[in-house]
Amino acid sequence: MRRRAGRGPSAGFWALLAAMIAVASFISLLSGPMSDPPGWVVTGLRLPRLVLALLTGAALSVSGCVLQSILRNDLATPYTLGISAGAGVVAGSVIVSGLVLPVLGMVALGTLGALLAVTLVYTLASRAGRNDRGSSLILAGVTMNLVGASVLLLFEYFSDASRVLEIVRWMMGDLSVIGWSKPLFLLPVVLAGVAAVELRTGVMNQISQGDDIAHSRGVHVYRERNLLLASAAVLAGSTVGAAGPIGFVGLMVPHIMRRFAGSDYRYLVPASALGGMLLVVLADSMSRVVASPAELPIGIVMSLTGGPFFLVLLLRSGRHVEDG
Amino acid sequence: MSALSMTGVRAGYNDLNVLRGIDISVMPGEICGLIGPNGAGKSTLLRSVIGLGVRMEGAITLCGEDIASIPRSRMARLVSYLPQNFNPSSRLSVFETVLLGRHPYRRGWSMDSREDLETARLCMEETDTWHLRERSFSNLSGGEKRLVMLASALAQEPRLLLLDEPGSSLDFRHQLSMWKLLRKLSGNGIAVVVSTHEVALAGRYMDSVLLLSGGRSAAFGSPKEVFTAGILSEVFQVDLTVLHDGMTDSWVVVPGP
Repeated sequence: MRRRAGRGPSAGFWALLAAMIAVASFISLLSGPMSDPPGWVVTGLRLPRLVLALLTGAALSVSGCVLQSILRNDLATPYTLGISAGAGVVAGSVIVSGLVLPVLGMVALGTLGALLAVTLVYTLASRAGRNDRGSSLILAGVTMNLVGASVLLLFEYFSDASRVLEIVRWMMGDLSVIGWSKPLFLLPVVLAGVAAVELRTGVMNQISQGDDIAHSRGVHVYRERNLLLASAAVLAGSTVGAAGPIGFVGLMVPHIMRRFAGSDYRYLVPASALGGMLLVVLADSMSRVVASPAELPIGIVMSLTGGPFFLVLLLRSGRHVEDG
Repeated sequence: MSALSMTGVRAGYNDLNVLRGIDISVMPGEICGLIGPNGAGKSTLLRSVIGLGVRMEGAITLCGEDIASIPRSRMARLVSYLPQNFNPSSRLSVFETVLLGRHPYRRGWSMDSREDLETARLCMEETDTWHLRERSFSNLSGGEKRLVMLASALAQEPRLLLLDEPGSSLDFRHQLSMWKLLRKLSGNGIAVVVSTHEVALAGRYMDSVLLLSGGRSAAFGSPKEVFTAGILSEVFQVDLTVLHDGMTDSWVVVPGP
């Protein structure tokens, strides 16, 4: 599919992507056993679950795009800066404490945890490496992830078996919902986050050229990077709060979409949003079918299928993943 | 009215003073060369004009306006800057990379206009990079990348062009083409300030030279005034002989008394 410089991918590309999402959504609605009245299963369980999957896919992919742009590193993901660690520690502490929060509370706390983690990582990186902030951010983020994982293990160590199971289950990712409260709460957050990012894609293009060049073209690099970081944190944090950490989406989708939509973020961001929707919906359908009537956690499905697929893609492309 | 005027400029980073008491004036259509030993402050001078991470005192005016009063978006239409080192992380094509130079003319999200595409094409033709348009920028040679980035800087349609050692990594043919291009641009009224170590070409193509030493102005004037064995030997702290070739109006600097 030929891309036209300055015009992005052709209309056919967008139409094909939309059609694939529509087909995947239809399959998702019909996948898995129908033990209860089919009408209720579809409208009360599967439709909100589908919407949650679409939102989660879009949010994680766009978040990955943003981080790859501002960190100037193709390997950056929503988890690189400790976003999931922050959301995870907050969610884990809620589970351990035995608090029964409404759905919205969990999503809001997940977002808050992600924002706190990013703020901490950014502050530490700013003090540690004034000359190479990108590398310092990644190092601080990786450290935050390790610390967050250890805190979650600590929670498990001191919790009773039922709580441990709940934490472990949450860490595997879970898109199952009953009713519309979770997807409807997430909907405006993801829409606003994706729109905020899309409006800044011109700036992302400039930052990917380097801070000096971006500055010379009129970009307030420091301010814009902070706004983009906050947007990425809100997008990823809210979805982690709603569905737990789901890996690979933020890494894999922008990589795949670059091959079809190019590297211009004006087109890569919406293409990644759509690609993320498609991927998560397909993975969710698979999670319900593979071990039916049992259901596999989507995080496991994503890692087991996405990981090898991504490696094959890298090998076939013959490209090197460049380190910033 | 001068395109760039610096009066009593002191600049540096945090507690480090790099430049002290710089006074220069560059008129529209003039090429001013910055020459000096490594660490003399050439890059800092260029960065101080656009306020790039530099703490600055003194007065700098662009086309008669104090830089402090110029919004950054307008500054980007007046001045374009090509740093010594650049390393774009994206995998854009060459044409897309040049088009990014049109950013100062966009507001919010927009597709590239017909004018953007046409300007980018002209700038690429001027820098002899149009034939590379479909290639990936990351797969170009170092010299080709530099020419493409120069095209991108020109796409900003600046009135002042700041170039930090643009000739490094260019072969003879492309070095000469680049200097001829700068001469052509200056003929269109663009002022150019360029840091370089290429004295021979500097003498031939520059209207004025600022010789920097330890952050201070050691000499400022025409190449003929500045390129003397005494001044250069003192600044570079080695015995140098300066030869002038009248045929090509070039200077050759060789070691030895």
